[in-house]
Amino acid sequence: MARAREHRWSQRHLSHYVEGDLGALARYRLDRHARDCVDCGRGIRAMRALVYALGGLGGPAGVRAPDTVFDLVRSAGTGGSGPPPGP
Amino acid sequence: MTRPPSGEPGPQTGSPGGGHPGAGQPAASPASRASAASAVSSVSPVAEAELIARAQAGDVGAFERLSGAYADRLFMLLLRLLGDRAEAEDVAQEVMLRAWRAIGRFQARSSYFTWLYRIAVNEANRALEKRARRPASVPLGPEELRLPAPPDQDPARQAETRELRLALARALGDLPPPLRTAIVLRDIEGLSTREAAGIAGIGQAAFKSRLHQARLRVRAALGDQALVTSGG
Repeated sequence: MARAREHRWSQRHLSHYVEGDLGALARYRLDRHARDCVDCGRGIRAMRALVYALGGLGGPAGVRAPDTVFDLVRSAGTGGSGPPPGP
Repeated sequence: MTRPPSGEPGPQTGSPGGGHPGAGQPAASPASRASAASAVSSVSPVAEAELIARAQAGDVGAFERLSGAYADRLFMLLLRLLGDRAEAEDVAQEVMLRAWRAIGRFQARSSYFTWLYRIAVNEANRALEKRARRPASVPLGPEELRLPAPPDQDPARQAETRELRLALARALGDLPPPLRTAIVLRDIEGLSTREAAGIAGIGQAAFKSRLHQARLRVRAALGDQALVTSGG
């Protein structure tokens, strides 16, 4: 019963664990459970792999903003509806 | 466009430097998030301050140079949040227009990058609300997620990487917009929690809660085995 409760709690906090968002006691609690729990041990590795994989998607990847990105600004700017006076 | 501007994003306290990861930035590990977030744009801080002042005085060219430094990155963000190039192009124009109209009220309480990104997130959410009755899944494509695997990988590894990224794309597309925004800003864009929370317009605790929920959902969608095998 207690083990099942610890398992559910650990599974819910894997992202917190990887992020370093757990306090010392909570981290110890999860560490202690994961030592004997294959699923949670794998869960930690999976969460770390997920964060790493997501980080690998970053960067502009050669995608450029379209040339039209300022078209509305130019229309507004030349039409007298630009920004209000500065602060 | 006759809609009123969305206005200046709310104040942020102590937001660090406003840059973004540059092209070719290596995959950011959690430990390197802060440094990734504080990368600078192609415009120096001094030049940026001058461009802001000139834009606030009505200089369209200065505004374009100022905002153009972030345009590619901002467009990529919109692609990731919206999953549709044509829509991202429209929203990018709208973001720039709103920023132009609101720049007179920009008071540098946050970095210009943070301010502009927040307008982009608001506009993306507005666009997503408009299409709320459409299917929830957003078809993020290879371009949005930089799917081509590094060329130095062997073919089998490339196939694994591509499969993982496709699965990631599907899982991210299935997330509700607030959760998708959190994971895109923090884990993909590599922004600090403080900066990402400021852009999302919520407190850091609430942002973290969304981020953790998002990660748990994506992890569940992909499965631990696939993630562990991928090794990231």
